Amino acid sequence: MTATIEQTDVWFPGFGESEFSNLIAGCGEQDAAARKVAFDRYRLCPVPTLRDEEWRRTDPDRIPFAGMKRLEGLDRAADPDRNDLDQAFDLVISISDRGYAITDRTGILAEGKAQVCPLSQMPADALGTYLHGEAVLEANRKYTQLNGAFWNVGFFIRIPANQVLAHGILIRYEHTTPGSILLPRLVVVAEAGSVAKVVEWYQSPDDVKLLCVGARELYVREAARLTVQAVQEWGVASTHVGEDWARVEKDGQIDWVTLTLGSGFSKMMVGCDVAEANANAYLSGLFFANEHQHIDQRTLQKHSAPHTYSNLLYKGAVKDSGHSVYQGVIAAAPGAIGVDAYQMNNNLILNTGARADSLPGLMIDADDLKCSHGATMGNIDPHQLFYLQSRGFSEVEARRMLVLAFFEEIIAKLNDSFLEDRIRADVNRKIG
Amino acid sequence: MSTVDIEIKNLHAEVEGKAILKGVNLKINKGEVHALMGPNGSGKSTLSNVIMGNPSYEVTQGEIWFKGQNILELDPTERARLGVFLAFQYPVAIPGVSAAKFLKSAVEAVAPEGNKPSAGAFLKELRENIAYLEMDDSFINRFLNDGFSGGEKKRMEILQMLMLKPTFAVMDETDSGLDIDALRIVSKGVNKLVGPNLAVLLITHYERILQYIKPDHLHVLIDGRNVLSGGPELVKKLEEKGYDWIREEFGHEVLVS
Ligand SMILES: Nc1ncnc2c1ncn2[C@@H]1O[C@H](COP(=O)(O)OP(=O)(O)O)[C@@H](O)[C@H]1O
Ligand SMILES: [Mg+2]
Repeated sequence: MTATIEQTDVWFPGFGESEFSNLIAGCGEQDAAARKVAFDRYRLCPVPTLRDEEWRRTDPDRIPFAGMKRLEGLDRAADPDRNDLDQAFDLVISISDRGYAITDRTGILAEGKAQVCPLSQMPADALGTYLHGEAVLEANRKYTQLNGAFWNVGFFIRIPANQVLAHGILIRYEHTTPGSILLPRLVVVAEAGSVAKVVEWYQSPDDVKLLCVGARELYVREAARLTVQAVQEWGVASTHVGEDWARVEKDGQIDWVTLTLGSGFSKMMVGCDVAEANANAYLSGLFFANEHQHIDQRTLQKHSAPHTYSNLLYKGAVKDSGHSVYQGVIAAAPGAIGVDAYQMNNNLILNTGARADSLPGLMIDADDLKCSHGATMGNIDPHQLFYLQSRGFSEVEARRMLVLAFFEEIIAKLNDSFLEDRIRADVNRKIG
Repeated sequence: MSTVDIEIKNLHAEVEGKAILKGVNLKINKGEVHALMGPNGSGKSTLSNVIMGNPSYEVTQGEIWFKGQNILELDPTERARLGVFLAFQYPVAIPGVSAAKFLKSAVEAVAPEGNKPSAGAFLKELRENIAYLEMDDSFINRFLNDGFSGGEKKRMEILQMLMLKPTFAVMDETDSGLDIDALRIVSKGVNKLVGPNLAVLLITHYERILQYIKPDHLHVLIDGRNVLSGGPELVKKLEEKGYDWIREEFGHEVLVS
């Protein structure tokens, strides 16, 4: 099987066979075995090119592997630093270039309300889930498999059956080493009947050149309810590739918000399978490309089973020379009846020169699916602008209010006033 | 010293290249309420938008003097801060902006520098005005005009007017589409503010509201010109003789009861 692929272009620079051998030589047996599965897939996946439909508007050659170096030594425990975000959570994992620290603020580990550990120390009974990777809907994706083989910081989080976390778990990254490649990986399993929130927050200084290739696998078991909020605020000199996957089982629900504000160039994939009857997915996105930022997002709403529901709303703004791309795919298993899929992408184009491309409603085997989809494009509504000005707001202030208002529907989904205010402030800064 | 507060001189305006206002002349003294009536399409909303400075309307001739300035030279923000207020015929909804936050920021925006109300004073006044307009408290926790009924939107306009305390208020068919109860409340709101510091241009399509808000002067606008203007004697004549003679003189379409 592996013998058929011999081209040299199957590797990204620095992520080839010899580097992999060196890496797994230092890994535990279980960890090495898991990485090997991903590596074998990775070598078989073609490297994306501009000729691929998905990459036509986002040049994969702009993802800078050459001259960059995979960050090492992230498995060491470091002293936890502090962040004012932490107060809103039960447990905080903080990751910096020095390593990671886990701070159990409310004692959820001791109480057995959650299991949290590095991915390399995953409990044996969870290994099957991970190796099988059922959530990964498209196994032939180069970056997902690259991450699976070479991840340098990874966590496993499991919420045992029927446990309810009052505040949730925060994983925050703060990286400052120029030229480094970060490959964060996250596996979350919300067991039957559990309720939890997991927030992941990426940050780095604007002038630090970083490459992040991240991946997430989220499992929502029967009647569980998982809230996932991913905030990408890398500095503008960095590049972000993220491929995230979720599987929602019978009566389960995921509320998944992806916020992309940072990095100069990013390419994201968010795929969710409502895989069993009465599974529900709310997929929300907020993105804002200003100055020379490029943000490309592809979503997949997969309905593997009858009587499943998905509702997607992605709202984006582009400003200055910013460019955004949204591609929305809906896929259904043949004969999936009672399926309701909704998809909407709204774009605010704040000046000429900024560009938003929207391709919603791409269908795969979804002919007899009940679904609706659409996209809107437009600048600030002049009637709203005049209304605000007539009440004494300056034009600049009125525009600011209207951009924030546009995003409010997504920001409110964070459902935590502290986090909401943080995002409002970040959006506000980008409005300028 | 003249008590004339607002003077509109020979105002011409067009929208999308089409002439709508073809010579409007009005003088409003401090403390007066002027009613402006006219058939559909005569240019009433165009006049209100031009007074407020809507950039979709192009003024091709004329002047609007208020507080010693030709306000046509000001942008809408500056006009609002000078004391001009327009109660819109069709207020827009702004989902994502909470009505309460909007009101507070608007009050701060028009308040003179160094004279911003405290949060406590603002809230107290807001509560009083909400009660006065017989509105539900939940109103202000909603997004601005979002999902509001027609009547609710009109009340929100009056609430804004009470909070912003303009010195020149233009009310564009605030009475249209209101039932008698809502009309009474809206009128009550306007009357609360009427006084020596406020000039009102009350635009209406029906004479009904004039039973609640008593005008000092009355103007009739037809085809972009005010064809008839009069003071208390005209108002009195209307009260005595009704409106029929205007209809006869200026055509059937002028007033619809
Ligand atoms: N934004 C606009 N675009 C095009 N035509 C307009 C616009 N606003 C008003 N008009 C036209 O101007 C004329 C006067 O309209 P308007 O001022 O709304 O009258 P009124 O308020 O007296 O009913 C009408 O013929 C109307 O169609
Ligand atoms: Mg009108």
